[in-house]
Amino acid sequence: MTDPSTAHAPAPDPISGLRHDLRTPVNHILGYAEMLLEDAEEPTHAERRRALRETVRAARDVLGLIKTALPASRDDIAPEEIGSLYDSLREPQGKILSTMRDLLTSDGGDAAFREDIQRIIKAAERLAKPDAAVTSTAAAAEVAKATEAGSTDRGAAHVLVVDDDEDNREVLRRRLERNGYQVGCAEDGSRALEMLTEQAYDLVLLDVMMPQLDGYQVLERMKGTPATRDIPVIMISALDDVSSVVRCIERGAEDYLPKPFDPILLRARISASLEKKRLRDQEVQHLERVAQIIEAAKRMEAGSYRPGTLADLGARDDELGQLARVFDGMAQQVRAREDQLRDRIRDLRSEIEAARTTPADAETAVNGGNLSTGEAFAERYEVVSLIGRGGMGSVYRARDRELLEDVAVKTLLPQLVADETVIERFKQEIRLARRISHRNVVRTHDFGQWGGVYYLTMEYVEGITVRALIDSRGQLGVPSTLAIGMQLAEALSVAHEQGVIHRDIKPQNLLLDPEGVLKVMDFGVARLAKRQSAITEVGLVVGTPAYMSPEQLLAETVDARSDLYATGVVLYECLTGRIPFEASSPVTLIAKLLHEEPTPPAEVNRDIPPALSSLLVRLLAKKPEDRVQSAADLMQRLREIA
Amino acid sequence: MAKILLVEDNEMNRDMLSRRLIRKGYEVAMAVDGREGVDMARSGDYDIVLMDMSLPEIDGWEATRRLKQAAETKALPIIALTAHAMAGDRDKALEAGCDDYDTKPIDLQRLLGKIEALLGQST
Repeated sequence: MTDPSTAHAPAPDPISGLRHDLRTPVNHILGYAEMLLEDAEEPTHAERRRALRETVRAARDVLGLIKTALPASRDDIAPEEIGSLYDSLREPQGKILSTMRDLLTSDGGDAAFREDIQRIIKAAERLAKPDAAVTSTAAAAEVAKATEAGSTDRGAAHVLVVDDDEDNREVLRRRLERNGYQVGCAEDGSRALEMLTEQAYDLVLLDVMMPQLDGYQVLERMKGTPATRDIPVIMISALDDVSSVVRCIERGAEDYLPKPFDPILLRARISASLEKKRLRDQEVQHLERVAQIIEAAKRMEAGSYRPGTLADLGARDDELGQLARVFDGMAQQVRAREDQLRDRIRDLRSEIEAARTTPADAETAVNGGNLSTGEAFAERYEVVSLIGRGGMGSVYRARDRELLEDVAVKTLLPQLVADETVIERFKQEIRLARRISHRNVVRTHDFGQWGGVYYLTMEYVEGITVRALIDSRGQLGVPSTLAIGMQLAEALSVAHEQGVIHRDIKPQNLLLDPEGVLKVMDFGVARLAKRQSAITEVGLVVGTPAYMSPEQLLAETVDARSDLYATGVVLYECLTGRIPFEASSPVTLIAKLLHEEPTPPAEVNRDIPPALSSLLVRLLAKKPEDRVQSAADLMQRLREIA
Repeated sequence: MAKILLVEDNEMNRDMLSRRLIRKGYEVAMAVDGREGVDMARSGDYDIVLMDMSLPEIDGWEATRRLKQAAETKALPIIALTAHAMAGDRDKALEAGCDDYDTKPIDLQRLLGKIEALLGQST
């Protein structure tokens, strides 16, 4: 009752049906093999006898395994056990199949003989084909479940069979189709390559020995073409052609299948190759997604990332999806912040515009300096004009002959750099400052000495200082002040993170380009101003003490919070047009600075939001620990007010 | 020479067993299901029946019961063949009236021994 098309009563129970389904093919194998053995009496039949005896032995092994697993007394079996029973049958079954197929190839027996051998093969195939052979029993469903688990993915995989032998092609095609694959066939190498360009295949079964383009050459072309390089190739070859197989595997073939085909081996190797390809495809996809995120990060850095770009990836349920979502969320915040800043900057730009059109343009009012226009300073910098003079020296706009761009050259007063230790310490400071790369920080290029003059070269920024802006406008609006404050806080937070403290934040050191972008100058330069105590040297000290924190004036420990104090003074001045403490002499100024409380800016100008006013008062606290504690925190607070 | 009726629905089993028996000098007739087996046994002149138990239409047990109940076929020896190899199969077959019982895969020598034993008894 193995013919599933015949209607009949179901077997009494699964185990009985399973016994029946396994014993029946063994019966066929033994019966035919023994019968053929009886006939194989000629001396020329030695090989035939050997093969048949081998088959009988293997069939008895199968029977032994069945008897052990399913003794007559047993009336129940678990699906896993069915699976492992079938697994145990694979070896003797494979033996029968390969022995009989070899015999078919090597033995020129008559049609009746060949037919019987085919019957043995057919019976042996049933030993591992529960899905096709035993559908009539309840066990079949269990068996199918146990043996087919995990192979559902092979679904509609496309397999290309390349073989010049029509019979081989047919056998493979039918067998593969029965296993649920979509099969294409090519009769020679050229046709195979052609078919590979016409449609995507998941696997190629490639005969080694073919006229014209042989398997090796086809393989070589496939592996040399990006589109086909990753398609796994299983070589088909006669067992005696091991050297070609080795050559092919060295050239990138995934595996090989010996002829004649063993269906078990065929199935196992094909599904293994497809599984490997599936995993590889998955990995490639994963890497592509990772590349997408990396690309997004690059764009983010370049400022060209558009929030929402990673939406597809963000919809995924895995870690990459999470990463994409977090990244995109952060990008959106950054974008929102930039938009916010842009609005403030618009106001700032119009103030800058207004300042430039007034006759009291600070930049044009510079005279003096040691270098003359047109001079080739340090044999490299062609002086264009003097753009500033201060307590430390003069700043020139110059043309860098090497890089063909404008730079700012700052010469330092000789008395500031008289001492070797000072120079060393200064160099150290410049090295640190050069590490800061931020759009709100003027880049420091070089420090050098030429003709006895120490100088610094920096990025040249076409713009005006906040000093000039305040002088020209009297005072700035709240949005403009916030735009300055946010940018200054950002520059400071980056510098502070690198361990660089500015020490001399004041309106003269803050440049605004025509777009409203703030650039902080002279990071580290203030270090040159050697002060035991600023009070005793006030006359000599760089600039005015108006922007200095109490701890700086008292030559106590200076840290990031000293820069925040100075920022408070700058913003106070922006909003009100005056510094928090004013006095007729530096000594009185210092006294006030150390002991008096500033007038809250909101009391000077009622348009100033109370939150901003009290934030500035906090920045101006005498004790560093009473101030806002970090530039990043200040940035956050300014953003909240904006 | 003894005439054997082989009742077997499986084509390959029929082909294989019949050929092996013919080689041993028996005459073999074949039925493909239980009903045909009963009909042939009634109308033909057979010395022994080899009866597969799992058969379409009428199964081997029922066919055996019918043959053993009918006077003209009551004496016809029947050997039950089954691939189920269940512990109770043998008793069940003998209970239905079979004279002997054997399992598949067929051990030809053993089966021939059983055939000859039954033929010797009946002659």
